[in-house]
Amino acid sequence: MQASPLQPTLFPRLSGPQHSTSLVIDPQLVAQLFVSGIVIGSRYALIAVSFGIIYSTTRIFHLAHAATYTIAAYAAVVAANMLGAPLWLSLLFGLLAAVIFGALMELGMYRPMRRRSATKLAMFLASLGLSIVASSSIQIIFGPQNLSLQRVSNATYFLGNITITALNIAEIVVGWTAIALLLLFMRRTQYGRAINAVRTNAQVAMAVGISVDRIYLLVMVIGSLLVGMSSLLFLMGNVVFPTMGLAPILVGFIAVFLGGTDSIPGAALGGLVLGLATSLSGIWLAGDFASVVVFGILFIVLVFRPQGLLGKAAV
Amino acid sequence: MNDYVADIIILILIYISLGASLNLLMGYAGQFSMAQAVFYGIGAYSAGLLAVNLGFSPLLSIIGAIVIAFISAGILALPAAKRVSGEYLILLTLAFQIVVNQLMNSMRDLTGGPYGFTVPWLTIFGRDFITPVEYVPLMALGCLLVLLVTWGIGESPFGRLLKGIREDETAVRALGKNTVVSKLLVFGITAGMAGFIGGLSAYYYQYIAPGTYNLDLSIFIVSIIVLGGIGNLTGTIIGAIILGGMRPFLQNVDFIGDENSYSWQAIIYGMALILLMMFRPEGLLPEGMGFGSLWRRISGRTNAFPIVAIPPPGALPTAKGRVRGDELALPNIVVGRAGDAGVAPTAGFAATAGIVRIEDLAKHFGGIYAVNGVDLSLREHQITALIGPNGAGKTTIFNLITGVLKPDRGRVFLRGQEITGKPPDEVAKLGMARSFQDTRLFRRLTVLENVAMAVPHQPGENVAALALRPFRSRRMEAETLAKAMGYLELIEMAGKAHERVANLGYGEQKVVAIARLLATESEVLLLDEPTSGIDPAVLDDMIALVLRLKALGRTICVVEHSLHVVSQLADHVVFMEDGRVTAEGTIADLTSQPRLVEVYFGT
Repeated sequence: MQASPLQPTLFPRLSGPQHSTSLVIDPQLVAQLFVSGIVIGSRYALIAVSFGIIYSTTRIFHLAHAATYTIAAYAAVVAANMLGAPLWLSLLFGLLAAVIFGALMELGMYRPMRRRSATKLAMFLASLGLSIVASSSIQIIFGPQNLSLQRVSNATYFLGNITITALNIAEIVVGWTAIALLLLFMRRTQYGRAINAVRTNAQVAMAVGISVDRIYLLVMVIGSLLVGMSSLLFLMGNVVFPTMGLAPILVGFIAVFLGGTDSIPGAALGGLVLGLATSLSGIWLAGDFASVVVFGILFIVLVFRPQGLLGKAAV
Repeated sequence: MNDYVADIIILILIYISLGASLNLLMGYAGQFSMAQAVFYGIGAYSAGLLAVNLGFSPLLSIIGAIVIAFISAGILALPAAKRVSGEYLILLTLAFQIVVNQLMNSMRDLTGGPYGFTVPWLTIFGRDFITPVEYVPLMALGCLLVLLVTWGIGESPFGRLLKGIREDETAVRALGKNTVVSKLLVFGITAGMAGFIGGLSAYYYQYIAPGTYNLDLSIFIVSIIVLGGIGNLTGTIIGAIILGGMRPFLQNVDFIGDENSYSWQAIIYGMALILLMMFRPEGLLPEGMGFGSLWRRISGRTNAFPIVAIPPPGALPTAKGRVRGDELALPNIVVGRAGDAGVAPTAGFAATAGIVRIEDLAKHFGGIYAVNGVDLSLREHQITALIGPNGAGKTTIFNLITGVLKPDRGRVFLRGQEITGKPPDEVAKLGMARSFQDTRLFRRLTVLENVAMAVPHQPGENVAALALRPFRSRRMEAETLAKAMGYLELIEMAGKAHERVANLGYGEQKVVAIARLLATESEVLLLDEPTSGIDPAVLDDMIALVLRLKALGRTICVVEHSLHVVSQLADHVVFMEDGRVTAEGTIADLTSQPRLVEVYFGT
């Protein structure tokens, strides 16, 4: 095996001040890290919710969600840089790609497997296979190097000495709006209630005439749409590369399991907590070690509270 | 053999070793790990760092690699030991893989960061092993060692225990076996073997960098196992040769070239994963098909045990006709264990006072009391029946006194010793075991394996004993199997000893479950609806079998719905309603009370 051509930093930190080496904690540093934490936390929250709605309904450990994330970004880059589409159209194209890819996975892979009553492990392994096929294909087509969207302007604002960019603000606003809309959709609409019914008990839902197959397709579409949004928000301020999906998706997954696998608000909260934790760990740790913090939280929660932070204790 | 070919062979040997050791975890123990590559890496880094920084000899470095990988996996598996499984385990190992791989990158002072560091070549007794051709025999030896260990463990009593955990952990604990240590150990052993190969590979490549031990490799190893067949070592070897031997061909395809061969390889094994999971989830070779079963067939090992006539199909093997006089002729069935180690009878605790005593037991779920202040005692060598309408709390009592559930209040005594709140495996070890209404047999294991797993005091279930005293373990295993065979003769199922449980009729499964329970050598047996779901034609045989357990000196408590069965079996009947005991006596006493009859049949 060869060394991978690039080892991306898995947990990028925003305009990062260096961690302090002295025992005195600089309040300004803490404030900046807190704001960064909110931004990253909002990103993770949206990813967590996008996975949470799929996982809590279908119970598939849908690792290929990482591929959806990556494909959305590459589709937008292709539209903007290679086809010369305007930004809004490129983003729309990216979202469309995510939704289509998600729907195809459900129709072409998960649904046939469910028909053959495949185990959950089998579905996960298929999902794993698909995610590596996707990232390798992208690597062959576009090469391993970083690509980025051109012509995205970004403004930087100062709150005292704390900096935040327009894209950061967009990430926070769009992320939480999307989550709020999803919750509203789940509570107020007929389809939302049908999803809730399937999440609670698929058999009973089937018995009262809900088409479970259609609901699974619907949640795959919704989840893919949301993760596509997250990907595009990230893309505008950053670069893309073939394996870009894995790290953020993994953090999103962890957030879901921290928040309790059945709760959408729990997933969002889990994402926010992880974002803040990774960012604030920068007070003491170098940026490379932020991932250790996430893993440590996961490990400790699994040892002491396997049902998640907000989950109900098992009887 | 030139160096190019030798290099490919070494790589395939590494894949075989990593796949075989991970298959022990996935196939036998039914656990899952996405972190095999990183344990391989931990081995390589440990050996390399010990050799370079501390000047360890190659042997010591590689031993260090094994130990470090073993310990780190043991710690990582702590949540798994606490019954975290499925998706949580995937997530945990996946996160571990990525985080440790990243640490290899980040801890520049120690690991050299992304560029890694170099390791000296291997010298043993003044002989250098530098070129691939020179190194092939060493790696082959290492691979052979890993295969032997994996195979040896898989076929040992410890391996049988792991398979039991895979099939039904609750049932294993109910047989008096601790599953926590076994799970930690199997994670440790799997990682230890990966670490060993990692250490060996460090001296071969003489260069260690993080890119080698990335998630792609973990996925690749999982693909090898899945392709060959989960739980099948022969399959893993074949899978490693197919998937590992692919890249040299891809490299020489014009439009692919060296640069993209990794990506193409990933696409191929990724596609293999998808297609296999969709169309052939058991892989090329299903479990139990390979050199092992071939060897058994040729060597005729299956005939090493006495075989009695196979009962006619569909019929429940009868226990009749064996009830008289032949108890002592059966090998190794302990009759009564009063005064046995650890369960000393309390002075003045007469048999009539009850070998099991329950005081004021209560348990509620939400707002509803399933069991509400129950006092009960089981008399020695008698059959006590618990009856009552559905939801009266009968099975909950079993769950409470065997430690499956923790009571809200109340105490449980076994031979005067308090056992309240002890975990199920300890309760079973102390001499009280239970059966399950739906049998909970290990469906993919044979009848003999099911019963043998229940036999207590098996040194072969202990890995240290297995390694340090292999011959004693083997001898004791022969004894265990002979005992298990004895129980099978008792239920007249010896002829089906090597049949998988899943292939048996339901009536036969119920009987095997009784034999498995008996094999725990517990003096108190709790039977949860032994006759439910079986053919009425063989009902009398089951009744005779339970009576036979009593004749063998066991104290029995049975939850039963059929009053016919109860009247045949029970010396003493306890009537329960709404979590309370409302009447006790003989079956005649109870059926003479019109109110009880109405409660029982009224709904």
